[in-house]
Amino acid sequence: MTAQPMNSRQRVLAALRRQPVDRTPVCNPTSVATVELMDLVDAYFPHANREPELMARLAATGYTELGFDSIMPVFSIIQESSALGCKIQWEQKDNWPTVKMREPIWEKPEDIVIPPDFLTHPDTRCVIEAIRLLRREFGDEVAIVGKTMGPWSLGYHGFGVEPFLLLSLDDPGKTMQCLDRLKEATVAFGLAQIEAGADALTLPDHATGDLVSGEYYARYLRDLHIEFSQRLPAPIILHICGRTVDRMEYIAQTGMAAFHFDSKNAPAESMEIVKKRISLVGNLNNPETLFSKGPEEVRAEVYRNLEAGVELVGPECAIPLQTAIENLVEIPKAVRDWHREQATRN
Amino acid sequence: MAQLNEIHNEFIRQEIEENIERPNERQRLIDNFAKSRPSMQAIAAALIEGEHATVDQLTRAALDEGIEALEVMDDGLIAGMAVVGIKFRENIIFVPEVLACARAMKAGMTHIEPILSASGIDPLGKVVMGTVKGDLHDIGKNLCIMMLRGAGFEVIDLGVDTSPDRFIDAVEEHRATLLGMSALLTTTMPNMGKTIEAFIDADLRDQVKIMVGGAPVTQDFADDMGADGYGKDALACVTLAKHLLAVK
Repeated sequence: MTAQPMNSRQRVLAALRRQPVDRTPVCNPTSVATVELMDLVDAYFPHANREPELMARLAATGYTELGFDSIMPVFSIIQESSALGCKIQWEQKDNWPTVKMREPIWEKPEDIVIPPDFLTHPDTRCVIEAIRLLRREFGDEVAIVGKTMGPWSLGYHGFGVEPFLLLSLDDPGKTMQCLDRLKEATVAFGLAQIEAGADALTLPDHATGDLVSGEYYARYLRDLHIEFSQRLPAPIILHICGRTVDRMEYIAQTGMAAFHFDSKNAPAESMEIVKKRISLVGNLNNPETLFSKGPEEVRAEVYRNLEAGVELVGPECAIPLQTAIENLVEIPKAVRDWHREQATRN
Repeated sequence: MAQLNEIHNEFIRQEIEENIERPNERQRLIDNFAKSRPSMQAIAAALIEGEHATVDQLTRAALDEGIEALEVMDDGLIAGMAVVGIKFRENIIFVPEVLACARAMKAGMTHIEPILSASGIDPLGKVVMGTVKGDLHDIGKNLCIMMLRGAGFEVIDLGVDTSPDRFIDAVEEHRATLLGMSALLTTTMPNMGKTIEAFIDADLRDQVKIMVGGAPVTQDFADDMGADGYGKDALACVTLAKHLLAVK
């Protein structure tokens, strides 16, 4: 810890570098948008996923209303998939947009072409513009985190989850070709967001323990993730849902700044595996705690993470849209209280 | 109680020896395989390896030889899937491998289903299955459906992105006594609760048992939502369905 008071941006960036902080930052690498917040600022899904001003306005509530140290304007995981040509179900206020994976757009690696208008397509441009607006409004006081999807996730979107997973088993060579082509979309979208003012990027790449093995991660993704950390000049927060302790050793070798981990992984066990080679962000349980329980239970989970030494505290993944605000504001409150208690004890 | 060396197929023996640790499961598999024909064990072995072309060929050959479709399904395909299910539960294999095994099972079932349908055997029960509103993932649901059908249930598959009203309409239309809901996203899981509430509002909750599953779903969450049961995987789904409908 440092005695020097920091603003939110400084706090987040320092924690991503595993440098001293005045207190643990509260970070949302995926999304904390809720229906209540939409009502509060008149920025609703699906429009808040498609119009830069609404996207920025809703995203800002993470900082202005909830007291988090970061702002994440990319609520969904489909913006660049839309620009790549996937069909999207945009949904309504109370539901997330989703890629229609039952209507795949690719069958083989050669089908993957990054369109010339990839970064000017309305759904990628929306993100880039929203980041610009946020940077203009908040300057250097809060960390603005962008999001660019990894090639494994883009593979699910373009091929469909089942065909892509079967391809990975039937033809590893072709799978690598797919990932190699798709990584350029990840890099291009990431660079555009950094240029627009993103301080860091979340890189979701859903090689989750619920779907594939740790060995799969090492075989298909570790080297690509190393490449991303070298080609993208900002701290990268890798996000993979589900149980991931069997691949955290590999993840810690990628050179990424942080790993956003799921509540299926015990904080202490996870910290023990990564051994300070990568910061951990997380891992408050969404469905059972933030959505279903009250502030007291939220506080207990925040404390569990802080006691384990987790560098940035926040929800494990994008939160359900019906999550109560009182549970979300409890997170920064609990972090402050924990640090106060620690200071008193020492 | 049969012994491992009574199983003819060497690959099956190895699979049991190396991968099945729970004594009761091990013995049940040994007993089942020991009394099955070598040709059924060969189908099971090909299925466990995910070789769909071999399963297709061996299933056709077995039926051509005059072996009953039910026997081919039970002693070959389902016996193989039982091993696959355990290996998946124990994290020995993951979804890609399970999908390859499911593809092999489907190859075999293509030959068996028409025969079973024509034979007019009563199903164990009627189950409506679907992924909840807002969620377009269906791998887990499809695996459950395949296993339920294999176990003798009639399944009405509503696909993905299923609204509470569609669940209600399907249960009423088909007079189903069991409903299965799946969700892969923590953001869509609450829609399970909404669907259950819709059944309460429609005064239908007492007429149907409701089971839930999906990667982020847990027993606690299922309890909170008011479901009757939670299944961790496709094998557990079949066990749960039998339990909820009091089928042996």
